[in-house]
Amino acid sequence: MKPKLIIGIFAIIGFTSLLMYNLGESISTYTTFDKAPDMKVAHVAGVWDQSKEHGFSMETKIFSFYMKDESGNSRRVVYSKPKPNNFEQADRLVVIGEMRGDTFYANDMLMKCPSKYNDGDPAQFINASEG
Amino acid sequence: MIGLIGKILLTLSFLSGVVSMCLYFQGAKNDDTAKLKIGNWLFGAKGAFLVAASGLLVYLLFTHQFQYYYVFNYTSLDLHPKYLWSAFYGGQEGSFMIWIFFSWLIGFGLMKWTREPYKAPVLFFLTLTQVFLLSMVLGWDIGNIKIGSSPFRTLVEEMPDAPFIQANPDFVPQDGSGLNDLLKSPWMMIHPPIVFVGFALMTVPYCFAMAALWKQKYNEWIGPALPWTLTGNVILLTAIFLGGYWAYVTLSFGGYWAWDPVENASLVPWLIGTAGIHTMIIQRKSSVAQKSSIFFAILAYVVVIYETFLTKSGILADSSVHSFTDLGLYNQLLLFVIVTTGIGAALFLWRYKELPTQEKESQILTREFMTFTGAMLLFILGLVIILGTSSPIIGLLFNDNPTPPETSFYNQWSMPIAMLMAVFTVLGQYLFWKKYNWETLSSALINPLLVTSVFTLASAIFGQVREPYYILYMFTAYFAVVGNGWVIAQLCIKKPKLIGGSVTHVGFGILLIGILASSVYNEPMLDGRIAQYNENVKQGNVKDEMGFTVTEPVLFLELKLKEPKIVNDKYIVTYVGFDIEDQNRPGQQTYKLLFEPLDGGDPFYMYPEVYPMLATSTQENVQWSVDPDVRSGLLSDIYLYVAGSSYIKQRNDMIARRANVNPVGVQDEVPEIQTIQFEKGETITVGGFEMNFIDYAMEDTAALPPSTTIGVRAQVQVHHIASGQRFLLEPLFALYNDEEGKTFVFSPPVDLPGFDISFSFSKVRPETGEIDLSITGLDEEYKSEWILVVAEQKPFISVVWLGTFLLMIGFTVSIFRHWGRERKK
Repeated sequence: MKPKLIIGIFAIIGFTSLLMYNLGESISTYTTFDKAPDMKVAHVAGVWDQSKEHGFSMETKIFSFYMKDESGNSRRVVYSKPKPNNFEQADRLVVIGEMRGDTFYANDMLMKCPSKYNDGDPAQFINASEG
Repeated sequence: MIGLIGKILLTLSFLSGVVSMCLYFQGAKNDDTAKLKIGNWLFGAKGAFLVAASGLLVYLLFTHQFQYYYVFNYTSLDLHPKYLWSAFYGGQEGSFMIWIFFSWLIGFGLMKWTREPYKAPVLFFLTLTQVFLLSMVLGWDIGNIKIGSSPFRTLVEEMPDAPFIQANPDFVPQDGSGLNDLLKSPWMMIHPPIVFVGFALMTVPYCFAMAALWKQKYNEWIGPALPWTLTGNVILLTAIFLGGYWAYVTLSFGGYWAWDPVENASLVPWLIGTAGIHTMIIQRKSSVAQKSSIFFAILAYVVVIYETFLTKSGILADSSVHSFTDLGLYNQLLLFVIVTTGIGAALFLWRYKELPTQEKESQILTREFMTFTGAMLLFILGLVIILGTSSPIIGLLFNDNPTPPETSFYNQWSMPIAMLMAVFTVLGQYLFWKKYNWETLSSALINPLLVTSVFTLASAIFGQVREPYYILYMFTAYFAVVGNGWVIAQLCIKKPKLIGGSVTHVGFGILLIGILASSVYNEPMLDGRIAQYNENVKQGNVKDEMGFTVTEPVLFLELKLKEPKIVNDKYIVTYVGFDIEDQNRPGQQTYKLLFEPLDGGDPFYMYPEVYPMLATSTQENVQWSVDPDVRSGLLSDIYLYVAGSSYIKQRNDMIARRANVNPVGVQDEVPEIQTIQFEKGETITVGGFEMNFIDYAMEDTAALPPSTTIGVRAQVQVHHIASGQRFLLEPLFALYNDEEGKTFVFSPPVDLPGFDISFSFSKVRPETGEIDLSITGLDEEYKSEWILVVAEQKPFISVVWLGTFLLMIGFTVSIFRHWGRERKK
């Protein structure tokens, strides 16, 4: 009985630590453009900077736009896939990729969309009531 | 008024729930059947109030009473009636209601079929969970404490401080903001209710296990609990399948599974429930594993509630593609998790000493050991997935602002666990029906192993499965199919009613084969030029304009109207045109693509769609959403969607121009100089001319200034259609350096004789062989019609579905078997 129990306990400890180690490796932290160059895969959260140009280039097949991160820095982000469906709607973006020079190369993008009304702009209702 | 009645009805439902719960408690404690009976009546009343409230909500939805927030937020006037039903559970409040409704129906089944002494305690625990769920839709405001979020709240209650409400408290919007377009799908009509039937059914094993602990009857509960659990499992599996299928045919991520928290929320309870089914089966057969049956039965439901907490409390807001609304139910949901887990754990630990323990250790080669191992593997897999899904909480161990884990975390862990499972399904099934020792087992497995090896070898040779790890994976998956198939063959002769388990395990093996084949051997559909470009990217030979090495391949197929392209050396693909439809989704474009197989198969069309998301689009900002088309084949699917088109670009440009308020008339003017891109051999017709870029012609650099580095001419044939005149022009493109080494482009215009039109050769694209001609003086603006398509060839998706169906069939066979035996008692 005894040795089996010990083996079992060791197996559980070994398994759990490996699992936790691996989980820790695959979880990263949200960061800013300033700190992104130190990371291999950086998750940067921010908002779309609408004051600068954006769009999909037919020539390079790249979607690019400017994003303002949480510390207020605006950087160009390029994304080699089509513009995501709810891009304009998102009130928060998370871009996942790496910084090269001054440009962020995103492999993946997540959009956090507002629940349509809670955070919404009441202007649309005013218009509706007037018109 | 109606809203107030609705709120009162939900309150009455909640109150009768609380009272019936108390009665059930006393009924269970004192074995008081009179209390139990009154409890049943109140249980019925609770549901009747709920049904009445739901009826009111449906009425509000169908009569478009937009002063109610729920109606306003999830519907609009133009919404098709069938999707008004979807809107009912489009929000969390409605989904809680439908969940309670199904749980209530199940309650009647439990009343009818559950025997003493379990009846009262089972109903007590069921009602307890319903009371919690009902509290989520109460919408009570007691001082500063808010309990639940009512579906009947009005706009005024939702945002009392909004200026337009303060100006006019009776304000009713003329139209609602509409249902999310992605949810306007028949699949999304049936998927959510089925999920909630599954969740409601998963409550039943929890109730039985808790009743067993309470009444200290640790064996008999398995009989009735097993068919319920199996049913919950099949339903949950169906829901997972429908969700996956919906994601595949509606969303543009191109797959059926993304390890999203919402997907995991139904997968993990399914895994734990399946673990419970395994231990229940051996407990029924051999009176062992009482502890683990109770443990898994409790855990399966705790996991349902925990995942509900994760997805509905807003805690996962950043980690999922789903948008979650935070209704402020965080504390209430947390309390629900703590109570279900707390009383589960407390009762389990309190009775732990008393629970039967196995006298002597199981030998390895017994069905008990094998089945138990299967359950443990399912449990471990569930644990791994929960751990990953809980990253917003568990990730805090690693850093302050954790991201979700990469999907590779899930893949790396689930693969080896699944491989072990596959092997154990065969050993377990063999030992389940017959006793073996090592020697007899090995000889019994020789034939299945031989067949498995042949299949694996065939996949390696014909199917290009070359990676050692994948070969091993395929070997275990084939082994599960062949080994369990062998068992089915033997059972079919003797006892065909018992094949449920082995059919399920064959399904599992097939599912594993399908998952690998469909995810690893995905092939983008591209034309030769892009494929060549991607090959260069792969070798690291491509630099972008900033000088960085390009690492991402291009996965687009660009098609010009009626210009066929050869794709993957397999199909000639032609973009034939598009129609605009205003029926279901106003402004929707249906694109038509012709596929002609090069091997002479029958040609076929595909119809991807693009539509403006009405719920979120405004005049100034149209949001386009795509609806992919999938052509399912026996061996391989073609999946494609339109990522962009000239029509959409024009529409967007028009909107942008309108926003900039240009002077009237300017937008219709033909630009003086137009730059048109030509492929070699391409003919473009514009302004009454047919222009054909025939080929390059090398220019003798000796004839040019000495600092010229490149000099090339384009042979362009221009045909004036009206007069039939033809001209051959050879405009020059040259690069030369000045004294400082700067490079300049030299592209002198060439006049078209007899017309006020000139051509200059303004750009070469060496990577594609295309050129730009800048043409001055055309009296028509050139608009090429094109689409940008993302297309993939996905092999063996059908195998994934086949595996899933077999799992469902196997579980269903088992339900009938266990239910039949239970009825005979």
